[in-house]
Amino acid sequence: MEGIIKLKNIKKIYKTGEEETPALKGIELAIKKGEFMAIMGPSGSGKSTLMHILGLLDHPTDGSYILDNKDISKISKSKQANIRNKQIGFVFQQFNLLPRTTVLDNVMLPTIYGKQKITETKARELIKEVGLTDRINYKSNQLSGGQIQRVAIARALIMGPSIILADEPTGNLNTKNSKEIMEIFKKINKKGATIILVTHEADIAKYADRIIELKDGQIVEE
Amino acid sequence: MKLYVMFKQSLKAIFRNKGRSFLTILGIIIGIGSVIALISLGNGVKATISDRIATLGTTNLTIMPGGQRNFGGGQSSSQRGGPGFSQNEGPSGFGNTSTLTVDDLKSLQDKSKNPKLKAVTGDISGSTILKVSGEDTRFSVLGTSVSYFNIHNLNLKSGALYTDNDVQSKTKAAVLGSEVADEVFGTGNPLNQTFMIENDTYKVIGVLSKANESGFGNPNAQIFVPNLSAMATFGNNNFNSMTAQAIDDNSVDQAKTDIQNTLLSAHKISEAKLADFTVFTSRDLLSTVGNVTGILTSLLAGIAAISLVVGGIGIMNIMLVSVTERTREIGLRKAVGARTIDILEQFILEAVILTLVGGVLGIGLGTIIGKVAARFVGFAPIVTLSSVFLAVGVSSAIGLIFGIYPAAKAARLDPIETLRYE
Repeated sequence: MEGIIKLKNIKKIYKTGEEETPALKGIELAIKKGEFMAIMGPSGSGKSTLMHILGLLDHPTDGSYILDNKDISKISKSKQANIRNKQIGFVFQQFNLLPRTTVLDNVMLPTIYGKQKITETKARELIKEVGLTDRINYKSNQLSGGQIQRVAIARALIMGPSIILADEPTGNLNTKNSKEIMEIFKKINKKGATIILVTHEADIAKYADRIIELKDGQIVEE
Repeated sequence: MKLYVMFKQSLKAIFRNKGRSFLTILGIIIGIGSVIALISLGNGVKATISDRIATLGTTNLTIMPGGQRNFGGGQSSSQRGGPGFSQNEGPSGFGNTSTLTVDDLKSLQDKSKNPKLKAVTGDISGSTILKVSGEDTRFSVLGTSVSYFNIHNLNLKSGALYTDNDVQSKTKAAVLGSEVADEVFGTGNPLNQTFMIENDTYKVIGVLSKANESGFGNPNAQIFVPNLSAMATFGNNNFNSMTAQAIDDNSVDQAKTDIQNTLLSAHKISEAKLADFTVFTSRDLLSTVGNVTGILTSLLAGIAAISLVVGGIGIMNIMLVSVTERTREIGLRKAVGARTIDILEQFILEAVILTLVGGVLGIGLGTIIGKVAARFVGFAPIVTLSSVFLAVGVSSAIGLIFGIYPAAKAARLDPIETLRYE
């Protein structure tokens, strides 16, 4: 399989006043296209920081990030925004949706910022895929936690990204809902998307084909 | 397309907080409302005064002694009637004696020098005290030529007007305005009655029918006497002012030039700017009034505009609160690909829409205030299209100016910071 992401010696140091706290201590990681990978680790291990760097939401202090054979560690903010829009889909643990906004509008949100034309028909198809057709005009505050995550997944897919980043997507869900959400991820992965999942639950991580474990800012286990 | 979607989004964001949005734009509504109300009232005043000037006759010219100056005068409270821009007694100007002589009047009446003039009068104004139901009342006396009645459309009700012969022989004859006749002589016949002006005894030879109050004077409350008689009575050698009438509207400018040339050569003055007299047309008067009311209107509107600035600061405050409140939303938008400029546009758009809505509501409020105020002051306010455009322009500019800071603050936020924001 072809490589899609390559991290070389990624370091992240947080500075609070005089004190320097290293969050990532030189991560080397290669992810192949179509992989379903889970990043595990206890809290404070740096797994969220790693995911934010992968998602171009945060910048590494040092090291290089190669995405689709291009070094994107030093590109402009607006180019980063374009990559987030086109190539990456996000599912967060919470505060995933615009408040008091319909399911359809939430799914359509990324299309406002993209150049290519995406029709509402595609949004409706994705909403059907995650099983929310009957809730399409519900507002985000009328949805349950599981439904919110489904909307988030549909939104993550709307621009046809090659990578889906999920940060504890089942963190607020019960077992039944968690299982359903993970099945959806599995289905998306089968269709060819690369999925990177951050979790601290072994049950959830087992859906992935590859698991890496982080501890104190370093990969300790593959 | 994108702008349309963003516009829709901004509207939704505003409607999500209806109550707060309304309170936010209240300042703008009041500000724009007072600007519109004051401008429309100012325009109303201007139109009312202009109408009054128009009744003076658009072909009329007034010649005043002294150099270029504003129309002054006005009426003292105890005196009724009389043209507002003439002085009670003595010459007007900066304390100089009037330079408008009887000879001047004669040369202006010379058709070969002033072919565009239909008539010219030399006017001298004064006053006298007459008894009205036993109480002393001051009435204005105008000494003028015979043609004055014609120029000002004053018609005789009974008796006769004085003639050029009466003028030349300084006959002490008087023609009364209708109110003077009614108030002084009541139901009795005023004709052939006598009364005193200064130390001379005048005989009433005619009474005018009721005329429209025109210009700044009320001809109905005035006593008309031959100008040369008035000169003798008041001890003046020169006229306080002269009134001329051009043959038609198109000749007014030529008539004005002719008058200036005639008087300049009569007074042996070589340069027009050194003239010891001033010729006003109704149009000059209109533009003077227009200037004065324009300045007053702008002054009042300027004061009202201060509230617009305060309103703008209110918008900025609320937008800043909104940015803080919506930090997570901004983070989410950035995560799905919004660039800095997209967030900037969104918040500026919201601020502009808010103020624009405030501006439109303000126009409505201002119009209503103008209408209500008009009931008390007695003239119609005029809301012009230009003041509406001004209001809309100013309010959207305020939205833009005061929206930029909060919008920039929102747009600058780092995606990771906003997503972590609690």
